[in-house]
Amino acid sequence: MKLPLSPNQPLAGTSFTERNWPITVKLEGIHRGQLLSRSAAIWTRNGLFLLLLILACICISILHAAETDQEVEARKTALDLAGAFSNDGFKMRDGHWCGTIKPREPALIAVNLYAGNQYWFTAGATAPAKRLALNVYDETGKQVSTEAYNAGEKAAAGFSPTSSGQYYISVGLTEGAESSVCFVYSYK
Amino acid sequence: MKRPTRLLVAALLLVCCALLGAEPARLPPDQMAKAIRSDSISIPTPGELFAALEKPGKPNWTGQYRGPVSATYGNRAQIALNLGGLIADGFIAVEAQDCQQVKNIGTDIIKLAKALGVSQNVLSRGNSINEFAENSEWDALQEELEATQNEVKSSMQTHRDQDLIILVSVGGWIRGTQVVSASVMQNYDERSAKVLRQPALVAYIHSKMNDISPELHDEPLVKEVSNQLAGVEKLVSFPPATAPSADDVRKVNQAVGRIMDEIQSKNAK
Repeated sequence: MKLPLSPNQPLAGTSFTERNWPITVKLEGIHRGQLLSRSAAIWTRNGLFLLLLILACICISILHAAETDQEVEARKTALDLAGAFSNDGFKMRDGHWCGTIKPREPALIAVNLYAGNQYWFTAGATAPAKRLALNVYDETGKQVSTEAYNAGEKAAAGFSPTSSGQYYISVGLTEGAESSVCFVYSYK
Repeated sequence: MKRPTRLLVAALLLVCCALLGAEPARLPPDQMAKAIRSDSISIPTPGELFAALEKPGKPNWTGQYRGPVSATYGNRAQIALNLGGLIADGFIAVEAQDCQQVKNIGTDIIKLAKALGVSQNVLSRGNSINEFAENSEWDALQEELEATQNEVKSSMQTHRDQDLIILVSVGGWIRGTQVVSASVMQNYDERSAKVLRQPALVAYIHSKMNDISPELHDEPLVKEVSNQLAGVEKLVSFPPATAPSADDVRKVNQAVGRIMDEIQSKNAK
């Protein structure tokens, strides 16, 4: 029996050779050293693949964690600004929304407000966001006028509804690229 | 092209670009339908509702207290609904600035939370509630009550009990609406009555209840609450500009009162 194996040959059927290498060492024209180096090559190649796979997984995890960190940072920015309204007696909601916005693709958030209350809607973002804009719309989709505050990567809109019901807050980027953003609101 | 003409064309182009880049003054219906809605941001806290009610004049908050809630319900859905109601009671006690009542309700909240097997983090909130009540830190207490509610919901999420989350919100909204409608009935005022208009909120809560697992949705109490919410949705759908009449308010109060009776009944179906 002649095993069709040479150092430069493609490694088809090598799993068989690997499993049987103590037998194949006696075969004609094949040296144990050749088989060992072939096995080592396979293991090295598979090992390299596994290593790359692990590295890719680690990179993805790091990127994901970085996203979460960015959202935490965006929330901190939003809370910093919302904290200023607390001095005026506004109570901050514990609930918040964090996500990603792109230029010309604002996030639209539905909230339910009560007539008689005053509200401040606040958003904070991380770099590369340079300027944010907040707009408020009523339940028919009509934009309502608000008191606006804008300071680069943080912005706020103040509004006192005369009618209770659903409103929509759009959080958009007017300058900068895709960024993490966080939205909170306060009431009094 | 002459220079003034070129300038005019450039200016026109700039205006066009600005118009294209600007957000529309009116949102299209499909965009509104796709808006982000979440339990933590789209459902207001009872504190927000009570803050709006207080604007025309301070209501008699202590008059809205109710007897202690049982801590021995055997049904997890019923515990979750009552937990939401108790958190609303906590907000009432904060509005009344009643230190002892806040502490009593805080203890009851922790008892019910324990019955649901929530995390240690929630239990430690009980100490914070007591501490803030002792120091009369009413604003901090409002935030702590909401944080406790969110902690309970987060713990439910971790324990794969996400279907119970909406029940906590439902319990809170029903109890809050019961208190507000009762208060408006006692001393009718158009401005106060306006806070009862929340058709989209009830529709959202109702749709979330329809999304829960069939096993939980088929439980008699959950089914009953869900069915009755459909009726409440119609009752709170007043036109935006008009305040509900005293009779409208009475109807809302009766409807939510019936649901609340079911929720806290020891003999719930």
